[in-house]
Amino acid sequence: MTDTILIIDFGSQVTQLIARRVREAGVYCEIHPFQSAEAAFAKLKPRAVILSGGPASVTEAASPRAPAAVFTAGIPVLGICYGQQTMAEQLGGKVESGHHREFGRAFVSVKTPSPLFDGVWDKGGEHQVWMSHGDRVTQLPAGFEIIATSPNAPLAAVADEKRRFYAVQFHPEVVHTPDGAKLLANFVHRIAGLKSDWTMAAYRREMIAKIRAQVGKGRVICGLSGGVDSAVAAVLIHEAIGDQLTCVFVDHGLMRHAEAEQVVGLFRDHYNIPLVHVDASSNFSMRWQASPTPRQSAKP
Amino acid sequence: MAQGTLYPDVIESVSFTGGPSVTIKSHHNGGGLPERMNMKLVEPLRELFKDEVRALGRELGLPEAFVGRHPFPGPGLAIRIPGEITHEKLDILRKADAIYLEEIRNAGLYDAIWQAFAVLLPVRTVGVMGDGRTYDHVLALRAVTSVDGMTADFFPFDMGFLGRAATRIINEVRGINRVVYDVTSKPPGTIEWE
Repeated sequence: MTDTILIIDFGSQVTQLIARRVREAGVYCEIHPFQSAEAAFAKLKPRAVILSGGPASVTEAASPRAPAAVFTAGIPVLGICYGQQTMAEQLGGKVESGHHREFGRAFVSVKTPSPLFDGVWDKGGEHQVWMSHGDRVTQLPAGFEIIATSPNAPLAAVADEKRRFYAVQFHPEVVHTPDGAKLLANFVHRIAGLKSDWTMAAYRREMIAKIRAQVGKGRVICGLSGGVDSAVAAVLIHEAIGDQLTCVFVDHGLMRHAEAEQVVGLFRDHYNIPLVHVDASSNFSMRWQASPTPRQSAKP
Repeated sequence: MAQGTLYPDVIESVSFTGGPSVTIKSHHNGGGLPERMNMKLVEPLRELFKDEVRALGRELGLPEAFVGRHPFPGPGLAIRIPGEITHEKLDILRKADAIYLEEIRNAGLYDAIWQAFAVLLPVRTVGVMGDGRTYDHVLALRAVTSVDGMTADFFPFDMGFLGRAATRIINEVRGINRVVYDVTSKPPGTIEWE
């Protein structure tokens, strides 16, 4: 099984960005909400855990916590913002509702060298980070020391190097922390010791085997929308099971100029994948008359 | 049945309002199939983010021009026509959209933009074309940069480009006599208008 990092989501708007940074470092990870984190932790057996930020306040009675097992499994843990606060609280420190709410750019200075900063930040340097918090940790749990500090967040980054627990008040996952991706890469490579083996070449091989196992001698139908996602899915499945795949492209009459021709050309001529092209634009136009306002698209 | 479901479609999201329960997104790609269809789902991209799908597409040898295409919504041009949708409006929008994208490609800007499109507004305004007055639609142009679609900034075209695109659209597409550019970022706006 692929080495996995579990990201426990406490409801931050940018939790997905943590996952993207970890994946970009070549390591597989999954996001699970705090409510089902305990089951996910048991199932995935992650090699490290990252606790996300979130809108709750650790000082409130019903606020969410990380499963206790995360801190007793002997694996590295990184807490971000709310993740830092709940980690501090759960390990015996103290958190107070902030008198200094802080949103936006801030500068941290590095107090102590740490594997988290290796090759990125040197001791004494000042570096831009992105802060977004109201609460802050006021007393560290035993074993922790401050590794970076900022004027408004004295505990901007803290670490228990022995247990490999790290916690930052700022958000390393957003682009406004310019070195954040490198700090997260340090966490997964240097601290958790994981290799960059999550590549699309490996994914392609693995997925082709899975598709063959799932489909067997069956047949698969794939609707093409004209977009990248369905096209990539179709080409991947075709590579796995060949002509057991039939693609269908329904032109609903709402495509861009020359879009239909491009899709049909790509599949029939470039790939030679069987394709049924249905021109249903007249069917669909009947329906607009009945309901002139399309339902809002879910994204983006 | 195969679907191009992506990881962001299947991540369970945190809900505080519903107590300790978890909300699952009701996205069109995430809903599964009705039982009576007697089919199973093949979703080979379920674990991937959009940029990973593009990387996989390149790995599979899909042409760069196809892999790098801007996202396009499932309901198509319909969500770019606020108000009543007619064949006539669709034709107007399709032509204007094609000219706008052609100008973007000619200027070498296509790959610098996350998503670019035109919106045909349900508003007519007065214009003067040749010797006559016109009373035609307003077209809004939109272009944004983004890393992942979650946040976006409007694209800072130079005025020369916008002027060129507007002139071509008004000259070549009957039914449009005014072009505006949307300078809203996300948040507080969204990328699409509907």
